[in-house]
Amino acid sequence: MSTAETPPAEPAIRFAGATVVYPNGVKALDGLDLSIERGELVVVVGLSGAGKSTLLRSINGLVRLTGGEVFVEGRSVPRNEGAALRALRARVGMIFQDHRLVKRLSVLTNVLLGRVARVPAWRQLLGLWPRRDVDVALQALDRVGLVDRARVRASELSGGQQQRVGIARALAQEPVVILADEPVASLDPMTSHRVMDDLQRINRDLGITTLVNLHFLDLAKQYAQRIVGLRQGALVYDGPATAVGAKDFAEIYGRRMTAEDVLEEVEVRL
Amino acid sequence: MSVGAPPRAGRGRGALLVAVVVALLALMTGWSAAGVGFAPGELLRNLGSLRRIVGDSFPPDWAFWRRLLAPFLETLQIAVVGSVLGGLISLPLAILAARGVAPTPAVAWVHRQAMNLLRTMPDLFWAMLFASAVGFGPFAGALALTVFTVAVVSKLLSESAESIDFALTETVRAGGGGWSSTVRFAVLPQILPQYVSFVLYAFEINVRASTVLGLVGAGGIGMVLNTQRTTFQYQRVTLIVLAIFGVVVLLEQLSEAARRRLV
Repeated sequence: MSTAETPPAEPAIRFAGATVVYPNGVKALDGLDLSIERGELVVVVGLSGAGKSTLLRSINGLVRLTGGEVFVEGRSVPRNEGAALRALRARVGMIFQDHRLVKRLSVLTNVLLGRVARVPAWRQLLGLWPRRDVDVALQALDRVGLVDRARVRASELSGGQQQRVGIARALAQEPVVILADEPVASLDPMTSHRVMDDLQRINRDLGITTLVNLHFLDLAKQYAQRIVGLRQGALVYDGPATAVGAKDFAEIYGRRMTAEDVLEEVEVRL
Repeated sequence: MSVGAPPRAGRGRGALLVAVVVALLALMTGWSAAGVGFAPGELLRNLGSLRRIVGDSFPPDWAFWRRLLAPFLETLQIAVVGSVLGGLISLPLAILAARGVAPTPAVAWVHRQAMNLLRTMPDLFWAMLFASAVGFGPFAGALALTVFTVAVVSKLLSESAESIDFALTETVRAGGGGWSSTVRFAVLPQILPQYVSFVLYAFEINVRASTVLGLVGAGGIGMVLNTQRTTFQYQRVTLIVLAIFGVVVLLEQLSEAARRRLV
């Protein structure tokens, strides 16, 4: 076993000249070099279309690089669907903007979807989840404070609760990396904070490397240890969250900040 | 109103188009009527015998109802077996035939062709085919309806499967799930209500179809109908027709109510 372990010196995620050109000619990532250390909580900011989503999705192979490479804990992300890519995805949890819950299934079953890579297909088919996997799922639900809702249908939860079930599902994977793609974009400010609090707490308590795409810069500054700014698929900012200023904002967004760029109607202090 | 002129010209062209289409339709219908030997005169001349048949058909022979129960049950049994077996086969077939859901485009293509083949043949053809294999009777009828159910349900269901929300299949894949996991948790929950609805719909059709199959010897109420008709027991025929009508309407109402609750 120990021979298969990667040396801890390898960063959690490393992009090396990562490039994605979509079939329609759009260059979403442009020769990106970036390292995310283990246990970091990094927020990626940028305009929509800046390549934030592509960056996240290239890490679990939902988007394929057309050039360069991306490594997760030192291992290159496979280019093709198959057992190797499934094994990598099992270790990378993803949270989506629109929750992506199966509405007709129970909350617990939705969280158990984080276990599909580890449970035999026949058990999944019959719904006979091993006790251990159910325990992992319930613990994950407990971490987002929804364990008492395990047996209700996913459709009965509020939007914020559904998003937290999405977090629990990612957590049930017992991942080394969590990717959150605009996790609060369709939530109100209070619920947004609840979701970001959960992500931050999980990152601190479990040391899971977390990468979050956000549009709101104030939210990014509040929760991130480090902020990465993308513009037209290229890195335009990379530094500690506390150091981001108005000048950096103009660099990332290509314009001055407006009320649309902050979550709450508080005075903008940058 | 300077805008009045152009639309008027457009309307004139539209009217011409309608006239041409109507003329073409009339021509086609006339040609087809000649082809089938459509002769209203013949119908009128034989109105007397038709009137005699109608006269002989009333009142219905109510006392005959006791001898309808067992055949009716058989008809329903044929429909139930055909619908359930057909429904069971349809589910995997529809999933394998759905583009974007099947494991590869080639798999989808092969299964779509199989579905097309099933649909091309009428249910009577399948009844004859199975009759020559297992002999005339209810079993052959049930097998024929199985094929018919597969033809109807798999086609409708594979179309449902092609229009699901594929974001959920991506979500299961993002968690490391393989094809079977995506089908189990992303595809099935999305098509299950339609699936049950389609099978119920097929069952409605199958009750009627099993009556027709009875006419060609597959047993059930259709067979009784045929024997009474060929022995000129028109008052019994009336009762049978009324009974079939009642049962079919009743089952349609039940199944429709069930389907409304599902979707």
